[in-house]
Amino acid sequence: MFCIASSFILHPSSLMQCIFINLQLFLQGAILSYRALFSWLRPVTFLASMILFPLGQIMFFTLLGIFATGRENASFFLIGNAMQITASAGIFGVTMAIGGERWAGTLMYLFGAPANRLAVFTGRSTIHIFNGVFQVLMGLGWGWLLGWVDFSRTDPFALGLTILIATFGTAALGLLLGCLGLITLNIMFINNLVYFLLLLFSGANVPVTALPQWMQYISWALPLTRGIEAARAIVGGASLAHVSSLLVGEFLIGVAYLLAGYLLFRVFESEAKRRGTLEAF
Amino acid sequence: MLPKYLRAILAAFKMNFLSLVVDGFFIFATFLMPLIYALIAFGILRDKGAQYGIFIAIGSGLAGLWSTLMFGSGNAITGERWTGTLEMIAATPTPMWMIVFGKSLGVILQALLSMIVSYLLGWLVFGYPLVIAQPLEFFAALLISLLSFIAFGLMLAPAFMLNPQIDQFQNALEFPVYILCGFLFPIALLPFWTTPFSYILSPYWAARLLQAAAGGTLTLEQFLFDGAIVLALGVIYLLLASFLFRIVLKKTRVDATLGLQ
Repeated sequence: MFCIASSFILHPSSLMQCIFINLQLFLQGAILSYRALFSWLRPVTFLASMILFPLGQIMFFTLLGIFATGRENASFFLIGNAMQITASAGIFGVTMAIGGERWAGTLMYLFGAPANRLAVFTGRSTIHIFNGVFQVLMGLGWGWLLGWVDFSRTDPFALGLTILIATFGTAALGLLLGCLGLITLNIMFINNLVYFLLLLFSGANVPVTALPQWMQYISWALPLTRGIEAARAIVGGASLAHVSSLLVGEFLIGVAYLLAGYLLFRVFESEAKRRGTLEAF
Repeated sequence: MLPKYLRAILAAFKMNFLSLVVDGFFIFATFLMPLIYALIAFGILRDKGAQYGIFIAIGSGLAGLWSTLMFGSGNAITGERWTGTLEMIAATPTPMWMIVFGKSLGVILQALLSMIVSYLLGWLVFGYPLVIAQPLEFFAALLISLLSFIAFGLMLAPAFMLNPQIDQFQNALEFPVYILCGFLFPIALLPFWTTPFSYILSPYWAARLLQAAAGGTLTLEQFLFDGAIVLALGVIYLLLASFLFRIVLKKTRVDATLGLQ
């Protein structure tokens, strides 16, 4: 940020160069952190894990829902769980992209570099957002193949936008959790807990209105809750205008988590530098 | 042979159990994950009636047990490779499978806690009448099931070690087993072609036994038949484990490639 401001005041011509550098930093960070995270996987295994895990989760909860409430309600569970799958990329992927720096021993280089922190921070989540969108589409595709969901009345643009916004929200939550990975060794505990709590609180499986009042307050403060509701409405035939308030709310929740995550990132950075605990285990 | 190595087995059991009970991930898998599954299942099945309380408690507990077993036993040898102690374990006079057996006992004990937690939660939090209708048969079935699970764990450890591809599938293997074993819904909902996969998994037969005993529908014929299959599968898993351990030791002593990731 300092780079941009000073360039703008002193040398307007170098503003473009500064933006270019930060954009390059953002893109390189996005690609390299993603490659580093999955470098240990072979492409076939990577694709299989991208397909098998989401499919397993969607099938399990949809079949449980069919057993409990009948086949006519399959789409409720399928859409809810397909949307919730985005949290696997958003939470596990993004968390490890940030928190993994500590495990890889690269944290002190990251914090020692003069690079723009916002570009570094947000770059870590970019590819995982595309991953999340892909997984949701795949989950919905499985549902369509199995005849559990009917897209005949669906506005594809509205559904695509809903998936993108919901994925952005979960990636923002992942960035916030990733910051916790900078100060705790129990990040796998934290991100598993949050991921599974989303299954309960987001309305993916149990309607939010059926939850106790105190749980509903938590539900509406989380990403995904509005996104899932919007996705169900759109598949049911609702227009983009009809769900716009839900989508705006979902987007703002995502922005709030992103800002909170970035703030925490800067606080932990300065604290870790002050205490000399960058690589303490 | 077993008494000779009893001290090593007990030491491996103690070390592994103590490591697991303070490990955040295993605390999650043992205590919190079954609770979340139970909460979701109670929420989804809320209109089915109170008689499903025990069904959910056992199903959620078995799900937690499976996850703990898969990650705990699956990583029993792989974890030693990560920490650089695998070669030393392979070189000790105590057979490697004995050490893994001890570690598996630690995993099973922790996994058992998962079932107890699920049961207590259903009773205390949800207030469901979680009565076990045939307690004697239930505990006999639980004992048989645990023996089979230990054998399963012994098979998983070298399998995960030898094939990193399986290791990377750990997360993806959780839900398919929940589905195929009918932990929370009957496998009759699944396509017919999946049934043989259910039949070769001892947790499926264990779930059948435990849920029937808890619900009071377990007949002597079913107990003998399902129990015999659980034990037979346990023997098959042990034979497979023995074969896999031989390969692991060959890789250690002949190929010297064991420590390679």
